[in-house]
Amino acid sequence: MPDDALLTSLLAAVDAAPDDVPLRLHVAGLLADRGRIPEALLHCTQALSHDAANPEAVALLQRLTAALAAPATPDPAAEHAREPAAFDWSSAEEQVSDIAAPELARAADTDPAPTVEDIEKPTVKLADVGGMDDVKQRLELAFLGPMRNPQLARAFGKNLSGGLLLYGPPGCGKTFLARAVAGELGARFYDVGISDILDMYVGASERNLSQIFDAARRNAPCVLFLDEIDALGQKRSHLSHSSSMRNTVNQLLSEMDSLSGDNDGVFVLGATNHPWDVDSALRRPGRFDRMLLVLPPDAPARGAILRYHLRDRPVATLDVDRIVKATEHFSGADLAHVCDTAAERALAASMKAGQLRPLTTGDLEAAVREIRPSTGPWFTTARNVTAFGNADGSYDDLAAYLRKHRKL
Amino acid sequence: MSAAERVEHLRQLGRLDDAERQARAALAAEPGDARLLAALAAVLLGTDRTAEGLAAADAAVAAAPRDERAHRLRALLLSRLGRHQEAVEAGYVSVALAPEEPFAATGYARVLQRAGRLNDAVRVAHHVVTLAPNSADAHFLLADVTSDAGDRRTAREAYAETLRLDPQHAAARHDLAVLDARSHRLSRALKGLVDAGTMDPSMTQVLQTVTVVLWQLSWRLRVWLAIATLVAIVVSGTEAPDRPTAAARVAAVAILLASAALTWWTTRGLPARTRPVVLAALRTDGPLRFTYLATVACIVVYAVIAVTGLGVLAAVVWLVLGMLGWLTLGVRVFRSARQRREGR
Ligand SMILES: Nc1ncnc2c1ncn2[C@@H]1O[C@H](COP(=O)(O)OP(=O)(O)O)[C@@H](O)[C@H]1O
Ligand SMILES: [Mg+2]
Repeated sequence: MPDDALLTSLLAAVDAAPDDVPLRLHVAGLLADRGRIPEALLHCTQALSHDAANPEAVALLQRLTAALAAPATPDPAAEHAREPAAFDWSSAEEQVSDIAAPELARAADTDPAPTVEDIEKPTVKLADVGGMDDVKQRLELAFLGPMRNPQLARAFGKNLSGGLLLYGPPGCGKTFLARAVAGELGARFYDVGISDILDMYVGASERNLSQIFDAARRNAPCVLFLDEIDALGQKRSHLSHSSSMRNTVNQLLSEMDSLSGDNDGVFVLGATNHPWDVDSALRRPGRFDRMLLVLPPDAPARGAILRYHLRDRPVATLDVDRIVKATEHFSGADLAHVCDTAAERALAASMKAGQLRPLTTGDLEAAVREIRPSTGPWFTTARNVTAFGNADGSYDDLAAYLRKHRKL
Repeated sequence: MSAAERVEHLRQLGRLDDAERQARAALAAEPGDARLLAALAAVLLGTDRTAEGLAAADAAVAAAPRDERAHRLRALLLSRLGRHQEAVEAGYVSVALAPEEPFAATGYARVLQRAGRLNDAVRVAHHVVTLAPNSADAHFLLADVTSDAGDRRTAREAYAETLRLDPQHAAARHDLAVLDARSHRLSRALKGLVDAGTMDPSMTQVLQTVTVVLWQLSWRLRVWLAIATLVAIVVSGTEAPDRPTAAARVAAVAILLASAALTWWTTRGLPARTRPVVLAALRTDGPLRFTYLATVACIVVYAVIAVTGLGVLAAVVWLVLGMLGWLTLGVRVFRSARQRREGR
């Protein structure tokens, strides 16, 4: 076949020029068209190892992993992982509770938790997260790709066990991203706020971590999100020696270790503002051994966040780009605050004038002048940490960012 | 676990917001609970909301007038508010109620220290150490107040004892390094600061102190260069400034060698971890960075003199040093003015 002659010669060309990313991607695309997915994937991952941020490569990887998930496989785990994707959850929201109820009723007589509100099915997708392409691509590579196709990941020697730890300044979208990850996987989302864990620790709650993990397994595929896990660590607090805190941490460790390997469809995501305070035992291989830096929203993300918060408010024609430029280093939460403050100004002006005066770019600018980005103190600490605590290179991303933004 | 204990645990975990919420929720059911009121006061002290904290402490004292802790918290809050006389009185009450309680005495010492009664504070701190000889924090208190009182010898010993009892006591390591810097033992200070930062990377004060030490070091470097330049100008003579002379060459080489020896001497005991720390400190302080670059430029000028023999170039170094002198003076004036403005 002439077609395959072309492919053969291209493959030879790739062998001759292994660093040529566009060529390799072209070949990978051709292989994918011919259904030779594993080979295509091999080339795609090699291209990504040369140029991790290549959007074409990432797109291809998504396509390939999706293609791999499609054909029926006898593996029950994969069966399991696919099932919810086929089901249209967003249009059947009210059915969720119906389905969940009997199961929970059953669960209720063995353990008191979780309640139905704890587990939900997020409909946010990564596409709803404005900007932050870098983080999305890394999530795709480090988490979503392998999770969508566990068998394939295993074939490449990629270990599925262990969680991914999102870290960064407060209010910059860690929680939001975690929900989007669940939405992306078509998985349920179980948000274990730190207050839940602290309640266990201080004895205000009867349930414990193993019940939470059991519930997550019953609801697999499920993203178990442990927010603010630094509170569990507290390296330097005297409480880290207290036995009940130690117990809670040890329970978490053994639950995470028990997830390894058996691929029960429970994906663990963690988030923290202070990774340097996280108990070092939690950072060992097989636990939260990978860290992903979530920085203040970049310009496209800021635009998206501003538009989102202004969507239901009476606005004049706004120069959002101008506000985006003026709000570097603002967190998502700061931007919400800017919009609220601007709305207050417009409201005050309207009341004074006795008629509606829509919110203007000027209102937003005045609000920006009033509000200082709340990420400042975090970056002060972060700079210190990269200076003193980066001997093992785990904060290289952060150090690079700080080098680029000296003013922070 | 009681509600008050729960609040205490949350506070010690650093979850001050959660602690406050729990305390207020529990107080809504039991508004007169002295332990809860004291716990809330402690949380608010931690968040620097002193006025609200004082209200809680006042209520705690009213509910349990013989509770040492309520009086102690009241004292600390009054002290934060600058009401030193009342603070000392409240501190005295708490010590009188529990004379054997090291926490009470510690609070009293802190209040006296902040009121400027350093000699009294030192006496109380010594008493705390006799009450709790195995507590690192007791020795740290003694070190802190004696250091304030100008007794560096006792302070140094007490810091050493703190670190012997708790080798990871980052604050003690940092403050000991500050003492070293004040005694002009700069490379020792730098080493101590790197240790302190490694023990607790989130202690942001450390990097600031590093820049202070680097300023001191740059001053020392400039004094050395100024003296060397004077000598070089005298040695290379003035009769033929525009022509290469052997004397200028020899003087330049001598200065280069001596500078190298001095640098080696200063940095010899420093661990490899010092490098990223110094670089980070330089990144945060523009004028400091400029000063070091200019100093390096002076050394380069001497290398040029060593090669060309043109002694007149030493005048360039002189000019640069003069300019740096004015720059540092300006920076110092500007920064202390800003500090005063922000302090007010
Ligand atoms: N890139 C983004 N796109 C849209 N909204 C964002 C983005 N980043 C942050 N936000 C918004 O900012 C708010 C704070 O984010 P959150 O995830 O709670 O921060 P964190 O968990 O990092 O403290 C959320 O309400 C979220 O909607
Ligand atoms: Mg969050």
